Amino acid sequence: MSASPIKSSLAARRRAATLSREAIYGIVLSPVITEKATTLTERGQVVFRVAITATKPQIKVAVETLFGVQVRSVNTLITKGKNKRFRGRPGRRSDVKKAYVELAEGQTIDLTASIA
Amino acid sequence: MQVTETLSDGLKRAFTVVLPAAEIEGKRTTKLTEMGRTMRLPGFRPGKVPMPVMKQRFGTAVMAEVLEESVDEATRQVLAERNLRPAMQPRVTPVNIEGVMGKGSLADLEFTMELELLPEFAVPDLSGLSLVRLRTEVSEETVDSALGELAARQRSFEDVDEARPAVAGDWLKVDFVGSVDGVAFAGGEAHDMDVEVAGAGFIPGFTEQLVGMSAGEERTITVTFPEDYGARELAGKDAQFAITAKALRRPLVPAIDEELAQKLGFETLDEMRETVRKRTQREYDQLSRLRLKRDLLDQLAKLAQFETPPSMVEAEFGAIWQRIEADRANGQLDEEDREKDEETLKREYGAIAERRVRLGLLLAEIGRQRGIGVSNEELNRALRMEAGRYPGQEAQVIEFFRKNPQAVEGVRGPIFEEKVVDYVIEMAKVEDKAVSLEELQEEPAVEV
Repeated sequence: MSASPIKSSLAARRRAATLSREAIYGIVLSPVITEKATTLTERGQVVFRVAITATKPQIKVAVETLFGVQVRSVNTLITKGKNKRFRGRPGRRSDVKKAYVELAEGQTIDLTASIA
Repeated sequence: MQVTETLSDGLKRAFTVVLPAAEIEGKRTTKLTEMGRTMRLPGFRPGKVPMPVMKQRFGTAVMAEVLEESVDEATRQVLAERNLRPAMQPRVTPVNIEGVMGKGSLADLEFTMELELLPEFAVPDLSGLSLVRLRTEVSEETVDSALGELAARQRSFEDVDEARPAVAGDWLKVDFVGSVDGVAFAGGEAHDMDVEVAGAGFIPGFTEQLVGMSAGEERTITVTFPEDYGARELAGKDAQFAITAKALRRPLVPAIDEELAQKLGFETLDEMRETVRKRTQREYDQLSRLRLKRDLLDQLAKLAQFETPPSMVEAEFGAIWQRIEADRANGQLDEEDREKDEETLKREYGAIAERRVRLGLLLAEIGRQRGIGVSNEELNRALRMEAGRYPGQEAQVIEFFRKNPQAVEGVRGPIFEEKVVDYVIEMAKVEDKAVSLEELQEEPAVEV
């Protein structure tokens, strides 16, 4: 990282704020619907699959504009794809980035509704 | 559940039923919980899918099911509470289905049901009926002529060697070529065909003109096809047939004696006579019963004066009318009916439909009050008989009945009817009257 982390994070936020509509759709890919994810909704957290290159500030802006909510924090993780063999040849499944997004107190996202 | 009666006119009833939203919602939740116990969804352990997800994924589908069940149950309950016997399935119309099926908060389910009741009526006094059972004994002549027919079917042929002209009753082996206006037509040619001279089965005039031909002779005859002949292009036309007679044969009818009886599988001639007599008697008895039953139904129809549910009459009439239409399309309408206009026909068959419904209801009521039912044994016997009509496919027929309870109903109906008719005949005053065969066979005047 650079010498001044605060400054660069500010720059990142500024850049994220100018994301185009198109770019937003490219960042948040789909909701993750699992037992864990549904339990987390009770604590105001929502889980998404996101683009592998997406940054936390970008995800925050994307979720806020897409669903019209306030995001308190974003945690991300990358699950590495498994090494697989197909007809004896080694291959690798794609890595997947997931984002745990915590919403402001009392807010929810209705995942059944279609996105505007 | 809230029930309001909105119509009570004659046999017609209509209700508006309101089911509270909470009740339906409760049912849906129970159903979903039950489903959730065994549900497998990716991302969840088996049976651990949380309620909100279940609701979101399957809510609408389950809702439809729940609604149907609730409406069904409510309908049944209304009928049971008010002690109503519907003539047909009540017609249910939901009033606000959108509000219930929609995603928003649940509205109360409101629906209307319309139905017609079975009429309440007292069974008329059956012992007051007086019927005449026609009895006809089989006469010796009838047996003789039946035996004669049997013998004729056992005839053999004998070649006639002498060259003599054919007389009526002889058989000629002929080749013929038929033509109309000098042009041979399809199917007008045959070789080595055995034709009975002056016998039936051909175009009128054909066989008659063979009289006097002897073997080896050629002759050209002219016959006229009847106006209603099957092949349209030939009907009513004159045709020439070039006929070559090839051989003359004479039928030999065996004498009615012990030998014939044994050939036909009887021990003695007397036994054969007896069998023939019994068979004929059975036919007469069936005819007699048919007449008796018809007479009985006529009388009952007069006695049974009560209102019939219009929907049942309509259904019956629909069935009759469909057949009439089909007959008309095929040009098979009765002579009598053909001359009547649509209006008259509809009125007549409407009356018949009404009569059928009325009698059906009356017989059903009599059967119900007297505890007449069709036992499983009787039903099974009838089913086996029905299956026996399709030799080689008995298993499939039985299978068909097992899968189609409605078809079984179709078999049960007539048995029930017969049993009730038997009962009524027993109750009524029946006097026997000996009549001749002609009297037995004559068509009684039709009363509607």
